[in-house]
Formats: sequence, structure tokens, C-alpha cells
Amino acid sequence: MTAEPLDILLTFARLGLVSFGGANLPEIERVLVEQKDWITPQLLANGFALGQVMPGPNMLAMTHYGFAAGGWLGAFAATLGFYGPTALLSAAAMTAWQRLSRWRWLPSLRSALLPFGAGVLLAGVLVLARGSIHSPAGALIAAVSFALLWRTRVNAALIVVGAAVLGAVLGL
Amino acid sequence: MSAPTTPAASAAPATPTPPPTPAGLLRLFVGVALVGIGGGLPAHTRRALTTRGWMTDAEFAEAYTLAQLTPGPNAVNLAAMIGARLLGGGGAALAVVGILTPGLIAMLTVTVFTLGLPGGLPPAVQSGLRGAACAALGVMLTAALPVLKVTAGIRFGPTLAVITFLLLAVLRADLLLVLAGTMIVGLILHRPRSGE
Repeated sequence: MTAEPLDILLTFARLGLVSFGGANLPEIERVLVEQKDWITPQLLANGFALGQVMPGPNMLAMTHYGFAAGGWLGAFAATLGFYGPTALLSAAAMTAWQRLSRWRWLPSLRSALLPFGAGVLLAGVLVLARGSIHSPAGALIAAVSFALLWRTRVNAALIVVGAAVLGAVLGL
Repeated sequence: MSAPTTPAASAAPATPTPPPTPAGLLRLFVGVALVGIGGGLPAHTRRALTTRGWMTDAEFAEAYTLAQLTPGPNAVNLAAMIGARLLGGGGAALAVVGILTPGLIAMLTVTVFTLGLPGGLPPAVQSGLRGAACAALGVMLTAALPVLKVTAGIRFGPTLAVITFLLLAVLRADLLLVLAGTMIVGLILHRPRSGE
């Protein structure tokens, strides 16, 4: 299946613009897996995992999904679509910041937006768990990774690479 | 880069450093991306900026708060904002290109390898990816913790968060509708008091 580059660009632009606080996995899954059928739940989880060990923003998984949907052109369309419009919006918001900082509705907006962001993150955890955990061993790896990250200062990339080695050895 | 020791003019408390240049800005964000494997990009960005004397902690906190409020990936939004603040529109573009390029090259290389194989992934690689995905779930949970903590301190925050979660994860509702609903309820609950 090869999708139209323009379709990929617009779809990922929309996904970027509805992502608050980083990854909006529930919507990404709904659109890319269920609605468009461009990727499988397995590929969603794989790409997300790869993003954790890449230099820079974790959501470079978008490049992976774009490639799966439409090859090289798809990868670039997805990357440009996901990051371009929100970056433009951010640059514009920065220039308007001085006026915005005295706006009396700004704290209200923040208080309204944060619980929404928290709900999206929790739903994202569930989406990712459904795609990545298929065995008790997998659940154990997830729990141990979380405990290590929460309680120690180990680099996240090291933990993901360690889990990959463990997964290959165990034949998950 | 080690900061050269300033010869004269050491009376001023602010450290005199060369102003940001396009090439310097690009280098800064490529560097942030490279040390930011496994996350923590905002922290690395802050350190790179303050050591160069291009931004104060207060200015950075301002940009960081704003980056949380705009949609999209926070680290990239933050780069665009800092670039815009230091060098205008061209600065924003350079900052975004800088923070994305190293990962883009790495991700494309790995993607072509993993998705381009004719017979699909070798079993060992697929098993490794499964293990990595489980650990990534742990990473995602840790990233959610600070947001959950701040939300717990907001009036009706936990309730709205749980409702959002149920609507999205269980009922699979449309995200924009849920966003509009929570925003309206949240803004009414937290409307500015006239006394302030």
C-alpha cells in the first residue's frame, strides 16, 4: 500500500496540531491504524520504541510511520507535516508572548489544558501497552524499566537498548 | 566550547559572550539533539543557552511554559520559539532543522533497514524490538508523571483527566470534540475572578 504524499502531509499535519504535551498516541493510532490502515499496531509500537533511542525528539517515530505509508517521499511528508505547522505556530506565539503574558485568561487556559493533556497521556499509555505487551515477560520488562527510570537516573536510551537485548535473548 | 576568560570589563556581573549567530544557533541545537538521546531535551537546551549567555533562566522558563501551551512536540516547539526570539523567523527555521537532523538521519537509516527487508524482520530483531517497546512503555509512564502531578494540584484536574482518559481510551471518542469539551468546562471552572 502506497499512500499519496499530499494525503500523508495533511494527515500528519493534523496529528501534530492536535498533540498537546508531546505524543498523542490515541489519535495517532485511531487515524493511522484504524482509519487509514497505513500501519499495524505492531509497527506503531516498533516505531515508538525506535524513537526512544534516536538522538533528538522521541516522536521521530513519525518518520518511520511515514516511510511505511509511502516510502521515502512519505517519510519526508510525514516529518514535514508533523513538525512544520506546529513549529510555525510556536514561532508566531513567541513573538506575541509579551501581550499574552498579561492576558488574564492565560492561567485559566493552562488549568483547563493540563488535565486534558494528562488524560491524553494516560490513554496513550494504554494504546502503547496494547501494542507492545503480549506476554508476562514483556509486562515485567515494562514494570522494571519504569521502576528504574522513576527511582534512578539511568539514561532512558540505555534502558531501551538493554530491553531490546533482553527481548532478543528471551525471544519475546 | 570553553568560554574564553574575559580580559577587561569584568566589573559587570553579566558574562560578556559573543551574540548568537545563525551557524552558532544551528550548532547549539544539533548538539542538544545529540546529547538528548533518551529524552531530557528541554534540560539540555536550557544548559546550552545559559552557558552561552544567550538567555537567562527566567527567559527560558517563559519560553518553556509557552511551549507547553502550543500543540505539537514540546522540544521542537521550544527550539522554534528560542530560534525566533534570538534570530527571528530564520532563526526559528535553523533551530528546528538543527534539532531534527541528527535523529532524522538515524531514523531513516534504521527504517530503511527494518522496513525494507523483503522477507520481513529476522525473528531476533523483531524480538528485540518487542523488548524495546516494553521499555518504551516505561519511558512513556515516567514522562507522564510530572503532568499527572501538576494536574493533581489543579481543582477538578484529576476528574477532568479521568473523564478525558475514558472518552479517548474506552469510548474512542473524537479527540477534537473531547478537547473542545474539556476546554469549555475547564475555562468555566477556572474563569478569572473579577477581584484580581
